[in-house]
Amino acid sequence: MELFANLLGKIEALSSQNVLILSSLIMALIMALVMAACAIVFTWMERKVAAFLQSRYGPMRVGHWHGVAQPVADMLKILQKEDIIPAEADRTLFTLAPVVIFIGSLLAWAAIPFAPGFIASDLDLGLLYIFAVSSLAVIGILMAGWASNNKWSLYGAARGAAQMVSYEIPLALSTVPVVLYTASLNMNDIVIAQQGGVANWFLFRDPFLFVAFVVYFICSIAEVNRGPFDMPETESELVAGYHTEYTGMRWAFFFLSEYANLFLVSCIATAVFLGGWWAPIPGLPLAPALNFIVKSVLLVFLHMWVRWTLPRLRVDQLMYLCWKVMIPIALICVIGSGIWLMVSGQAS
Amino acid sequence: MATDDRNLSAATGWAEQDDVPEMPSELLEINMGPQHPATHGVLRLLIETDGEIVAKVTPHIGYLHRCAEKIAEGLNYKQWVVYTDRFDYLAPMCCNHAYVTAVERLLGVEMPDRVEYLRVIAAELSRIASHLIAIATFGLDMGAWTPLLYCFREREEILNLLERLSGGRMLYNYMIPGGVRFDVPEDGWCEDTRTFIDMLENKKIGDYNTLLSYNKIFIERTADIGVISREDAFAYGCTGPVLRGSGVQFDCRKDDPYSVYDQFEFEIPYGTGEQGTVGDCWDRYMVRVREVIQSCRIVRQALEKLPPGPIMSDQVKKVMRVGPGAAYTRVESAKGEMGHYLIADGGQKPFRNKVRSPSFCNLQILEKIGPGMMVSDLVATVGSLDIVLGEIDR
Amino acid sequence: MEFAAICTLLSTKLGDGVLELHEEGVEPWVDMKPDQIAAAAHLLRELPELDFNQLMCLSGIDWDGLDEKGKGKSVAILGYSADGKPETSDRVGEGDLGVAYHLYSHQHGHKFTLRVRVPRGAATLPSVAEIWPTGAWHEREAWDLVGIRFTGHPDLRRILLDDSWVGHPLRKDYQMPGRWDLAPLEGKPYSVNPHQKPMEPPPAGDADGSGGEG
Repeated sequence: MELFANLLGKIEALSSQNVLILSSLIMALIMALVMAACAIVFTWMERKVAAFLQSRYGPMRVGHWHGVAQPVADMLKILQKEDIIPAEADRTLFTLAPVVIFIGSLLAWAAIPFAPGFIASDLDLGLLYIFAVSSLAVIGILMAGWASNNKWSLYGAARGAAQMVSYEIPLALSTVPVVLYTASLNMNDIVIAQQGGVANWFLFRDPFLFVAFVVYFICSIAEVNRGPFDMPETESELVAGYHTEYTGMRWAFFFLSEYANLFLVSCIATAVFLGGWWAPIPGLPLAPALNFIVKSVLLVFLHMWVRWTLPRLRVDQLMYLCWKVMIPIALICVIGSGIWLMVSGQAS
Repeated sequence: MATDDRNLSAATGWAEQDDVPEMPSELLEINMGPQHPATHGVLRLLIETDGEIVAKVTPHIGYLHRCAEKIAEGLNYKQWVVYTDRFDYLAPMCCNHAYVTAVERLLGVEMPDRVEYLRVIAAELSRIASHLIAIATFGLDMGAWTPLLYCFREREEILNLLERLSGGRMLYNYMIPGGVRFDVPEDGWCEDTRTFIDMLENKKIGDYNTLLSYNKIFIERTADIGVISREDAFAYGCTGPVLRGSGVQFDCRKDDPYSVYDQFEFEIPYGTGEQGTVGDCWDRYMVRVREVIQSCRIVRQALEKLPPGPIMSDQVKKVMRVGPGAAYTRVESAKGEMGHYLIADGGQKPFRNKVRSPSFCNLQILEKIGPGMMVSDLVATVGSLDIVLGEIDR
Repeated sequence: MEFAAICTLLSTKLGDGVLELHEEGVEPWVDMKPDQIAAAAHLLRELPELDFNQLMCLSGIDWDGLDEKGKGKSVAILGYSADGKPETSDRVGEGDLGVAYHLYSHQHGHKFTLRVRVPRGAATLPSVAEIWPTGAWHEREAWDLVGIRFTGHPDLRRILLDDSWVGHPLRKDYQMPGRWDLAPLEGKPYSVNPHQKPMEPPPAGDADGSGGEG
């Protein structure tokens, strides 16, 4: 990772037009690889975490050590699966939906700062951009649910659309206090503002920010449609929700983007609240990218822990939680943080 | 059918709350099942929904129908035991017990004490196993995966114990009219059973309560949902945990004693509306959790008092002729009141054997309480009824 | 309340000679004429001294060929012979059909058994589903498997077998169909879906029982 960072830093320093295009392409490729790696690492991790929580072993055979090659075997299996499009399905939308969802999660990676200089596109509106493109997934889910011509899929799509549209509001609102501190939406700026040890992370800057982080974490679970907020899938009610009719590689795309999104929301949380690439104690000789990834993976573990522990909410309770609990709390955090900022004199 | 325009506000009562202009709309007709993760077997619910609200539920059953009662007329009394295992395949010992009790009542013979004690131990272990599955799958219906694995881990222990006792893990064929097939194995079975019972009662049930029963989300999902009133429970013939969940302290083991249940001390848990209304899903669920504890008590007492003696009655001949006579005999199976109406003509085969299975009656109430709830609540309600299609379809 | 007391109470309300008491055996029961069953059911449910609020069981019975002497000479099971061909029943279908009602009162803790016989040709009984809603499914089962009609039943359809099934299997003269024979379906589909196009009837040359499974 550091090697790449240095390399890219040098390439970008040249700042010639052609080289910029080249570096963008390389970056896009890296991000696509990161996404694929996410899916591979996190499917294995999810199985192991679930097994650990459920007092069993999980995959143990493939790849000798604790089934590390299991995701590869899974991928090979999925590749071989028959690709079925239901006879009455809307073929265009049906084939397009997984791609739309995948692109939605791929685009958002452009503005994630893994390490100093290691960011695909250092946008001034980085945070806003991430939230904007990640809502593409809603369209993908609606397309998939509608095109499948399956009532359960339609239910899943309707639930998913309602849920994701709703939860984007508290999700974005909970990051606003941080923006008040940095006065910038640039992801690099946000991370740089947290330079130093744990005390400088936005998580611990003021109590409202801590609450905002909790709100962000809860809403991010809903945003990536995982338990206890997995309304679009709800395997015990809607069979498999919006991807009931999908098989093989198309289904794998949904799977891929679920884990990519999971890592994405964790990365955003790391960058915004948990100090990004800065080590917990200043001066620790840790690679910045390693800091960043370890923090994000810990958050992913937290996501998995929650998923395998809690029962699922009902769809109306989910909406209640969003509109009547999360959004007011997020708003209070915004106001409270602003006041705290003024009183403590940290305003920039 | 679904294309009819309907007055939805009348069907669901929801539109009345808002000033919604009258719009033509239609109900969505969905088949929940026979292949559906939440229907606990091959149950098909034809539901008509208005968005997330269920307007009508029609259960369609019979996918597992084997016409077992016809088979009964062609088999002799001992052969038929094998088929009783297959009714409630999650608690086959209870089904065995129901049948042998019915036959022995017609025969008019008393079993040796050891036989009855062994039957009680086996049936109660089976009941615990069945309730563990009920807890597990109910949690799964609520989206809680982990309790499922925990409960199956404990059930596995019971299966191991019953395997050592009877040789079978799922379908035991252990009790026969006139006794039980095997005595307790002499490899410390009783001690192992006692250890397991202690572990389950003192530790595991507390774990389940912490993890699931008193979880805030779980209570939100189950309290005040699928309320069955006392009167409805009687009218629809609900029995077992479903009836007790509605606040009725009735248990065949106490109120219509059979076997040696009158020699044990245990309580009948019943729904009190602790988290919501009496007779909601949570009450029914909790009755099962508490019954596990009571079954543990019964097993412990039975193991303590286990008398010596033969395991077969000498009053029952090898070639068994029953009757003539007819009797309806009921026992408390894991799911409720399991009854056998046995008409014997003095021969080796039953003339007619009607099986009254608890799930058959318990499921029926879904048509009554289903309309007006959300799809998710319907899943919760079906889960809380704890049906087994093997005994519904017979 | 004891069995005799219940019978006395019922007799005073219904009139003498309606009940036919059978107090021998393990379980005493009462025989009754079909035309009295509705009135009796109402009384059993509604009289506060009786208050039978639970219908434990409702069994449809075919009495054809019952060995009245109790020697166990009743009809044998029909099954399949060694070559898989169904055996034919030697019963021609005589004797009555019947229903047994088993009642329980949670209030008083007493039980009661009521039996009724109907002639085979006119196997019709008034439904008790209005009085005990649980009877609805039991009566559907009795109709499905034994073939007793219940008048006034809210929804008398087959319950365990398919709607297109021919015959009532628990009748003693029921002829077993061939194992994979489509004959009982009469070429109709297993289930009727109003939105589905009608199914092709099975090919004519496929009547030897080797045809595909539904």
